Amino acid sequence: MSASPSTAAAPAASEAGTPTARGTRGTAKRRPPVTRRGERLAGYTFMTPWIIGSLVFTVGPMLWSLYLSFTDYHLILGGDFIGLANYRAMFDDPMFARAVKVTLLYVVLAVPLKLAASLAVAMLLTQSRRGIGFYRAAFYMPSLIAMSVGMALVWKALFATDGPQDQIMSWFGWEGGGFIGNPDVSILMLVLLSVWTFGAPMVIFMAGLLQVPGELHEAAQVDGAGKWHRFVHITIPMLSPVIFFNVLMETVHAFQMFGPAFIIGGTAGGPAWSTLFYTVRVYALAFVDLRMGYASAWAWMLVLAVGVVTLIMFRAAKNLVYYAGEDNK
Amino acid sequence: MIRDPYRLRRRSLLTSASAAAVVAAAAACGDDGPAGTADDPIEISFEWWGDENRAGITTEAVELFQKKNEGIKVTTNFADFPTYWEGLSGRMASRDLPDVFQMDYSRLRQFGTGGLLLPLEGVVKTDDFREGFLDTAKLDGQLVAVPIAGNTLGLLYRADWFGDNGVTFEPGYTWEDYKAAVGTVGATLGEGMWAGADWAGQYHFMELWLRQTGGSFYTEDGKALNFDAAKLVEWWGTSADLYADGLVPPVETTIEWTEDGLVQDVLGSEIGWDNFMPGFAPTVEANGGTLALAAPPTLDPANLGLYLKPSMQLVISGATEQAEAAAKLVDFLLGDPEAIAILGTNRGVPATNTGLETVEIDAYTQAVLDYEASVSQYLTTPPPAPPAATGAIEVKFGEIYQQVQYGEMTAADAADLFFTEAETLLASEQ
Repeated sequence: MSASPSTAAAPAASEAGTPTARGTRGTAKRRPPVTRRGERLAGYTFMTPWIIGSLVFTVGPMLWSLYLSFTDYHLILGGDFIGLANYRAMFDDPMFARAVKVTLLYVVLAVPLKLAASLAVAMLLTQSRRGIGFYRAAFYMPSLIAMSVGMALVWKALFATDGPQDQIMSWFGWEGGGFIGNPDVSILMLVLLSVWTFGAPMVIFMAGLLQVPGELHEAAQVDGAGKWHRFVHITIPMLSPVIFFNVLMETVHAFQMFGPAFIIGGTAGGPAWSTLFYTVRVYALAFVDLRMGYASAWAWMLVLAVGVVTLIMFRAAKNLVYYAGEDNK
Repeated sequence: MIRDPYRLRRRSLLTSASAAAVVAAAAACGDDGPAGTADDPIEISFEWWGDENRAGITTEAVELFQKKNEGIKVTTNFADFPTYWEGLSGRMASRDLPDVFQMDYSRLRQFGTGGLLLPLEGVVKTDDFREGFLDTAKLDGQLVAVPIAGNTLGLLYRADWFGDNGVTFEPGYTWEDYKAAVGTVGATLGEGMWAGADWAGQYHFMELWLRQTGGSFYTEDGKALNFDAAKLVEWWGTSADLYADGLVPPVETTIEWTEDGLVQDVLGSEIGWDNFMPGFAPTVEANGGTLALAAPPTLDPANLGLYLKPSMQLVISGATEQAEAAAKLVDFLLGDPEAIAILGTNRGVPATNTGLETVEIDAYTQAVLDYEASVSQYLTTPPPAPPAATGAIEVKFGEIYQQVQYGEMTAADAADLFFTEAETLLASEQ
């Protein structure tokens, strides 16, 4: 809606260079304040459904859960304010350490693997080839469906004993059966599911790769740099803001892993708690044990932990990420 | 050129919005709730746990109910046991329970407190229940549920496999006898087949075992466990050597089972509820075997620890707006001869006299009745309705025992963890 008036007004603006009485519908920053206020009101009015939605369905429940985290709220019986007792109890809770361990293991495995895969495929898909559009779509496809219930069920079938994974691996001497029933490797199938859904970071990597100036590569080539050197010394540094963004997003997502783990491992994080993700445990505390207060404290601890990790990443990024045009370092 | 492209649209938008509001308000004014006629039916919801098979016959019975009660529309839903309870627990918090739903004795207190269930005295028919069945439908003296059927624990076993090896189970045989039999028969079976299943992960079976020496799982007031960690280690130890010798299926295998081992023709026996018999036996027979029922093993030949438990109950939500229609449905499902004929013994042998007289007793159901008659002298007073946290404790019991099976924890550590968890859960509801 706003596009058409501003393009229409563009010639007038460039012609005069300053606001004129004639330009009744100038570009946004030149409009008289009265209209601006009116438009702002209209803008907020149109946003009302979303503002209400986020207040009622996101901000409100979040604040409520923050309050609950300081109570011993039981889903049916209600509860009382107990201060920090929930947060203290967490550190004595043997399940807390387990859930943290499983989640960290997953983050450490899934994030780098997924990013490596998505970068590799992004590099393949930024070549100019015939039918490249098809390949791009094809590689993006899994991420559209992967976090669905259906996919988790397919995964369950793939990694069952005597399922495809078990059969193929047993040709090479594997005797561990399906990943589903084997606590030593069960987390790997969730890592694989995550890696397989590299679509989103891949698209972002592709956009980043296409931004790397071709003349840098040409210049380096003239100087005799090989493919590997150009990748390490040109592509990676030029891509570092995009890498940083992807690392950040994927890490935050990985911490919140829930759906497939819940479907495959259940509330018990089976087998033997090997898929007892932090979020799965929060769910079990809330909806099996009905301990809403304690579950809320767990949830807020996750918020805190992800916040701290994000902060550390931003700190680290200062020295690792190269933004073009900021050459004063 | 349009001077203000928004104005027209805005006005028409406002007009249509206010028009819609007026229409909605007018519609709301004329609505005093459903009239209960075919055109404007009363709607009630009914949910249960179970498989497709149960869903099929239940839906059929519900359709008959709707035909006989024009003006009541029943929406139905079902899920498997764990999913069902996870869903209802969440909905319980928002008081969004179905009007009529299937209840499990171990969850009765959890749902029965706080006015979530409608007191049923005088609401549904209670004059036709078989002796002793209503005892387990009361919570602190108040009737909040009605039993659909009853069941008790037993040993389901392959009479062909055990019989071929000269093993029979007479009431009063010991756990050691049973273990020996599992060993003997197991030795004759091929790989991937077992004569018995690991019983140690089920809290109901431990309760049975505790009752055999006069104990109980919970204290009388339901506020604590009535045994100690050492006892739990001892219980978990009862199947440990069979497990170590591979005479019962390993957890790696059972975790992937979506069907019972008996039905899959790989298991020779298991302790379980006697009402599973009619469900399993036809498949076992189709596999060329014979399924039979015997008393469970015991620690004391004079005390089998058994009691008659409601296999399932029906309850009405305390928040229902259609108590009358809901009660009609409950009465219909338990007492209408045609409904009973459709439902059969899928949920167990009916708890009403009408049900028992009407239901078609096939050979498998007869086996259950015979079994219950054979142990009737051993049936003792049921324990009081277990504490509200039982549902969660039951889950935890199996989950923690799984760690022992996988060798991730020693039985002693696992027992300590179970006590920590169970005590926290029991404390959380006081």
